[in-house]
Amino acid sequence: MKIGVFVCHCGSNIGGTVDAARVAEASREFPDVVFTSDTMYACSEPGQDGIIQAIKDNQLDGVVVSSCTPRMHEPTFRRTVERAGLNRFMFEMANIREHVSWIGKDKEANTNKAIELTGIAVEKLRRDQPLFAKQFDINKRVLVIGGGVAGIQAALDCADGDREVVLVERESTIGGKMAKLDKTFPTVDCSSCILGPKMVDVAQHPKIQLYAMAEVEEIGGYVGNYEVKIRRKAPYVNWDLCTGCGLCMEKCPSKKSTDRFNEQVGSTTAINIPFPQAIPKKAVIDPKFCIKLTKGKCGICAKICPTKAIVFDQREEIISESVGAIVAATGYDLFDISKYGEYGGGRLPDVITGLQYERLLSASGPTGGHVKRPSDGKEPKTIVFVQCVGSRDKSVDRPYCSGFCCMYTAKQAILTKDHIPDSSSYVFYMDIRSPGKMYDEFTRRAMEEYGTQYVRGRVSMIYPQGDKLMVRGADTLMGTQVEVEADLVVLAAGAEAAVGAPQLAEKLRISYDKYGFFMESHPKLRPVETNTAGVYLAGSCQGPKDIPASVAQGSAAAAKVLALFAKDKLENDPMISLVDMKRCVGCGKCVRVCPFGAIKEIDVRGEPKAEVIETVCQGCGLCTATCPQGAIQLSHFTDNQILAEVNALCQL
Amino acid sequence: MTILTQLKEQITAQLPKLDMVIGWEQGYDALHATPLFMRAAEDVERLQIGPLSVHNTATYLTGLRNKKVGLVVKGCDSRAVVQLQQEGLIDRENVVVFGFPCDGVADLTKVRRLIGDVGRVEEVETTPTELRLRVDGREEQVAMSDVMADKCRRCQYPNALVHDHFAGKPREPHATSDDYTDVQEFESQSLETRFEHWKSEMSRCIRCYACRNACPMCVCRDHCIAQSRDPHWVTQDDMVREKWMFQVIHAMHLAGRCVECGECQRACPVDIPILALKRKMNKEIKEVFNYDAGVDPQAIPPLLSFQVEEENINERGW
Repeated sequence: MKIGVFVCHCGSNIGGTVDAARVAEASREFPDVVFTSDTMYACSEPGQDGIIQAIKDNQLDGVVVSSCTPRMHEPTFRRTVERAGLNRFMFEMANIREHVSWIGKDKEANTNKAIELTGIAVEKLRRDQPLFAKQFDINKRVLVIGGGVAGIQAALDCADGDREVVLVERESTIGGKMAKLDKTFPTVDCSSCILGPKMVDVAQHPKIQLYAMAEVEEIGGYVGNYEVKIRRKAPYVNWDLCTGCGLCMEKCPSKKSTDRFNEQVGSTTAINIPFPQAIPKKAVIDPKFCIKLTKGKCGICAKICPTKAIVFDQREEIISESVGAIVAATGYDLFDISKYGEYGGGRLPDVITGLQYERLLSASGPTGGHVKRPSDGKEPKTIVFVQCVGSRDKSVDRPYCSGFCCMYTAKQAILTKDHIPDSSSYVFYMDIRSPGKMYDEFTRRAMEEYGTQYVRGRVSMIYPQGDKLMVRGADTLMGTQVEVEADLVVLAAGAEAAVGAPQLAEKLRISYDKYGFFMESHPKLRPVETNTAGVYLAGSCQGPKDIPASVAQGSAAAAKVLALFAKDKLENDPMISLVDMKRCVGCGKCVRVCPFGAIKEIDVRGEPKAEVIETVCQGCGLCTATCPQGAIQLSHFTDNQILAEVNALCQL
Repeated sequence: MTILTQLKEQITAQLPKLDMVIGWEQGYDALHATPLFMRAAEDVERLQIGPLSVHNTATYLTGLRNKKVGLVVKGCDSRAVVQLQQEGLIDRENVVVFGFPCDGVADLTKVRRLIGDVGRVEEVETTPTELRLRVDGREEQVAMSDVMADKCRRCQYPNALVHDHFAGKPREPHATSDDYTDVQEFESQSLETRFEHWKSEMSRCIRCYACRNACPMCVCRDHCIAQSRDPHWVTQDDMVREKWMFQVIHAMHLAGRCVECGECQRACPVDIPILALKRKMNKEIKEVFNYDAGVDPQAIPPLLSFQVEEENINERGW
C-alpha cells in the first residue's frame, strides 16, 4: 500500500504552535508512507489540487490529511480523493488543530503529539477498505410536528413545493403561541390577522393533511422512509360532522373548565372551541370537566348539536403515516413563574405572565380586550412589568436569554397606554436587548412617546398591600431602592423547551441540550439540520426565537426538505454494521440493543443468524459493542482498525 | 424413596423422549465425579447426586442446541439454564430439567488443602455434615462446613429455579441475600495491594482456558477473541498482561450474565480465584440495575437491552 501524508498549516492556526514541516518529515518513517508534504491550506483549491496531483504522480492508494476537525473538512477531502480516482474511504484525517495546536502552546510537545496522531491515522488507513454506498428509494412526503407559526410556514412551503405534508398538532387548533398574542412587535399589527390567513391556507391546502389533537407516538425507519405512528386523542366530537357553530358552548352547563388557550385567565366550558379563528374550527370536550363523561348525566350538547356530532364514547386512535422527512417545530413553553416565590406568581392573582396579559389585551380574550385584573376585575392604573423572569438567571438554571421578552414587554407597555390612556407603566429590566430591524426604535418609542418608566434593576419582592401590590426593587442607575404601588404585575416569563420535547427528541433520535432544546447540526452553518439525516428543525424548539426568526427557520427547513426530495434515490452511509455469519451464534442480543430496528434474525441452514438491514443501520455501533463474539463489525471502525490505532499510540 | 431413586425414576420415564440426560457419576476415583451422559436406561443406574456433583451440567447445552436434552440441575445450574434461555441461546422446549434440592457441594481444592494430595480415594461416604474418605486403607474425615464451596454458603437458590420434574422437597435457602462482603473486603485494600495480588495470581495462569470451557455462558467457542487473530485483541505472548487481558474480557462479557456457578474457578488447574472478577461485575450490576442474572426467565438482562433513560443512571439531570 502506498500512503501519502499531507500536513496542513491552516495559516497560523496550526503552523503557529506545530512545526508542520517536521510532522511531514517524521511521517515519512511510518509504514507504507511514500509521500509527505506540508501545505498552507489543505482545504483550499491549490491544496486539494496538490493532493490529487500527488495521488496521481505517486500512485497512492490512500491519503492522510493532518489538519482540522473531520466534522468540517472530512467530506471535502473525501471528495478530493474521489476526484483523484480513489475510494472515498481510503482517507483518514488526523485532527492536529482542535486536538493539538489550539489547546497547547509548547511547540515541541505539540509537534510530537501531531506526529503521533498522524501515525495513528496512518495505521488506521493501512487497514481501511474501499466502501460503497447503496441506493434506496425515497418517500417524498414530509411530517411536520407542531402547528405553530414555524410549523405552519414549513408545512405551507413544502406543500407549495408540491410535496404532501402531514401536520401534527398537539392542541385542538393550530396557531401555537402566536395565535394567543394580541399584537406583534415592532409593527403592532394584529397577530391573528396576519397568522389567520396562513392557518386558513393550511386548512385548505390540498397537499396538507392536518391531524390536530394528535401526538407523535412512535417513529421508525430512516431518512427517506420513516414510519410514523400518530396518536389521535378523542375530542368526543365527530369532527367530520362538527361545523364549529358553537351552539354547544353556549349551552354547556360546566363552565369551570381549564381555559388552556386563554392561559387560564378565567375558565371556559367543558365543550369548547378555543378561539373564533381556530383551525380546524371544531369543538372538543374536556373529559375532566364534562358532566356527562364524569357523572354520566347531562348530554345537553348532544341534544342541541344540529349535526349530531357529539360522540361520548369516542376513543383515541393510532394512525400510521409513511414519510421521507420530518420537521420538528414543537416550539416552547413558558417558565413556571411560581419558581420565584418572592414574586408571588401563582399565589397572587394579579401577578401574571406576559402571555396571560396578551389574553387580557386581546379582543378575542376572556375580557373582550378590556384590561381587567384577575382578582377583582378592576381596570389597573399602575402596571409593573418585570423582565428576565426565568431568563439569564443561573439560580433557576436558566442562564440563557429568552430573546423576545424585551420586545414584547415594550409592546405590552405601548398597548397598555393605548387601552388605558391614564395608566402608567414601569418596566424593571436588566438590559434592553433589541437587535433587529426596527426593534431598538420600537423600545425607544415605548420609553419616549408612551412615557413608560424603565427602571434598570431587579425586583426583590412583590407583596400585597390592601388591594395593591407593592413592588420593591433596585434602581441600579440611580443607586436607590424603589417601591412601586402597582395594580397589576406582568412577569416576562422566559421561554423554555416545550413540555415533552426531550421525549420527542428521543423518538426522533436527535440530540437536545441540557434545557431540552433540540440541537442543530452546526450552530452557524447547519442551523435547521440535525445530526439525524432527514430530520430538520424550525422555530423555538431549537432555542427561543421571535416570530420573524421562526418563520425564516420554517422556510429554511422546508427548503432543506425540498432539496432532499429533489433526488429520486438516496445513498446510505456505508459506515454500517456487518455480520460475520460464521461467528454469529444467533443469540439476538444485537437485535435487542439496536435502537433503529436495523437488525433482523434470519435463518441460515436451520441456524438463527443476525442480519443488518443496510439502509436502516445508522452506524452507531451499539451492536458491535454488545456482540460478545465480535461477529458484528462496524465498517470503517472495525475492532482491528481501532486496535491498530491504539497500538500505534501505545507503541510510538 | 430417596431423592436419588425418585430422580432416577423420573429420568428413566423421560429418557425415551430425549436424546440424552446429563447428570453426574463417579469419576476416576470416589472423590471426583464426572458428567454422565445418559442415553440408555442402564446409564441411569450410574447417576449420583450430592456434594461431589460439582459440575454445571448446563455448560453443555449450547453445544447440543438441536438435540432434545434432559438436564439434572442444582440450583446454580438452573440459573444458567434460565440465563441461556433469556439470551436466546437455547430453546427451552428442547430442554427437560430435572431438579432436586441441593445441600451444597464440596470444594475439592479445600478438601485437598485439608488432607493433602492423597492420590486415589477409594471410597467416599457423604453425610449431611461430613465427608468420610477412605484412602490407602485409612479413613479421613472432613466436616462439610470446612469444605463447602463459598458459592454454596451464600446460595439463595438451592432448588432448581426452572424444572420440569423435581425430586424430593424443595429445601430452605442457605442464605437470604448476597451482600458481596468478599468483594468489599478485597476492595478495601489499597490499589497497589490489589494490583500485586492480581499480578501474582495471573502469573500462574497457564492459558489452558479451562475457565472459559467450563463457563456455561461462554458461547463463542471457536471464535473466542482470546484466540482470534481477527480481531487480534490478545497476543500469544506469555505475559501477565495478556493473561489478565483475557480474564478482564471474560469478566466484562459476563457482566450481568454470570450466574456465579463458580465453574471457572473450579476448573482452574492452578486455583486462581477468578470468580472474584465476575462477582465484582455482578455487584455493580446489582447496584445499578438491581438485577440478578438467571433468576427470572422473562427478565431482560440490563446490558442486553437499549433504554434511553436508565432509572439509576442520571445522565442528563432530567
